[in-house]
Amino acid sequence: MAGQTTDQTGFSDVAAGVDAVIPARKQSWFQYYLPSILIFIFAIVTWELFVRLFSIQEFLLPAPSAIYNSLSLNLNQLLKLGWFTTKEALGGFAIGCSLGILVALATARWTIATEALMPFAIAANSVPILAFAPILNNWFGVDNPLSKMAIVAVIVFFPVMINTVRGLTLVDANALELMASYAASEFDTLFRLRVPNALPYIFNALKVAAALSMIGAIVSEYFGGNRSALGVYITQEAAQFRFANAWAAIILACIVGITLYLIVLTVERFAIPWHPSVRGEER
Amino acid sequence: MPPTVSIQNVSKVFNPGETNQVLALKEINLDILPGEFVSIIGPSGCGKSTLLRLIGDLIPPSSGAVLVNGKPAPQARLDQDYGMVFQAATLYEWRTVSKNVQLPLELQSVPKAERESRAREMLALVELSGFENHHPWQLSGGMQQRVAIARALVMRPQLLLMDEPFGALDEMTRERMNQELHTIWEQTNKTAVFITHSIAEAVFLSTRVVVMSVRPGRITQVIDIDLPRHRDVDTRETTRYFELVNLVREALRRAEAGL
Repeated sequence: MAGQTTDQTGFSDVAAGVDAVIPARKQSWFQYYLPSILIFIFAIVTWELFVRLFSIQEFLLPAPSAIYNSLSLNLNQLLKLGWFTTKEALGGFAIGCSLGILVALATARWTIATEALMPFAIAANSVPILAFAPILNNWFGVDNPLSKMAIVAVIVFFPVMINTVRGLTLVDANALELMASYAASEFDTLFRLRVPNALPYIFNALKVAAALSMIGAIVSEYFGGNRSALGVYITQEAAQFRFANAWAAIILACIVGITLYLIVLTVERFAIPWHPSVRGEER
Repeated sequence: MPPTVSIQNVSKVFNPGETNQVLALKEINLDILPGEFVSIIGPSGCGKSTLLRLIGDLIPPSSGAVLVNGKPAPQARLDQDYGMVFQAATLYEWRTVSKNVQLPLELQSVPKAERESRAREMLALVELSGFENHHPWQLSGGMQQRVAIARALVMRPQLLLMDEPFGALDEMTRERMNQELHTIWEQTNKTAVFITHSIAEAVFLSTRVVVMSVRPGRITQVIDIDLPRHRDVDTRETTRYFELVNLVREALRRAEAGL
């Protein structure tokens, strides 16, 4: 565990507590993100110029301005569609992540079960689960949001479960011996050592799952779904050569995906402020 | 008085019956009396850490018996008869300093108010008052190790088991920690079993030094450290101290040569 007294802010004194670390980072927020903001603006301007100068056809690549126009024109409809799909993504995320963590907790209790199950979980994790979308559409009904939630749940289940098992089992040997020296029960060892140890692993998996859940929801809608779903709208608009509309919907999906990721990131900061990745030592 | 620790003809074989079978400890006999400070020193791989884990019942012996406070080691572990300190401080980084010290009390369902006051008391003993709400990563290596010692003492065990607790510290910090540990031992009348690589540390802290040899791990010599009970900076400069350091060094050399 950490053996250093010097943190990022240059305090070499132990008295430089958490309070000293966090404001120091907030102050430089704008400076920290300025390069990224500049790159973003540069990319948009280049894109716009590229489309205009070379008269790129809209079905190949619409200009950012055209996408923006479509976005603002259809905003109400897009938000409604987006919310419908976001609910599918969130539902699948909640079901898949909870099941992943619960199964991991259950298997961590029985080492033999974990060892027997892990190869299958890792194999399943590399299977293109989206390929099953048409089948799940069949099981639950194409119109039913449950069919999309099921796909999302299956997609996020495996990374969450595998990472949680890792976090529960990759525990420092001395930390375990310490618990043994206290004659701690399995229950105490699980909840006072293994689970806190697993939290950083779980949050890493949740970040991946947040991004995957939106991808899963949209792509499974490409195989057919409710008329008020974002993925269905994208395929329809593309089929009818209204590419700016399709792009506007894609941008919205991107924003939702990023937002979900940021929400998990924020929760992580509050949940595990002690972890090196959160307190900023790994930069 | 019955011995605090009694190791009776203990052998330990790792991976018995397999191709990588190792005889880690061979027929160890050692009694440690109440109030003694016994250091175990020996070359790497001589099984000194294994011996400590046998006393703490973290691993079972292959043959022989280990008694702690007259009870079989497993019962002593259940009764929390000892506190353990490892080379790595092994603090849980999600807990504050105070919460780390309280961990063994929490496991015994000691009420919160008592937990907090006992943690404060122990942190004062290791001179870390005021650091209750710090996190482990905000402390230096030496301070982290002091928290680990406070945690080992908080159950008020009669026996302290320490596995090279200062092995990762620099020489100056180590000497200061030696002094602090000595003071705690002197004040509290604990029995201590201390694993170390350092001859100076072993002589300074101990009432007896046990020298072990490698392959198989066995006790080759036990040296009584007849320095006065109270020790401080000046102790390290006395003639007797140097003589004892040389005695231990020669014993270690013989142990390594397999004599």
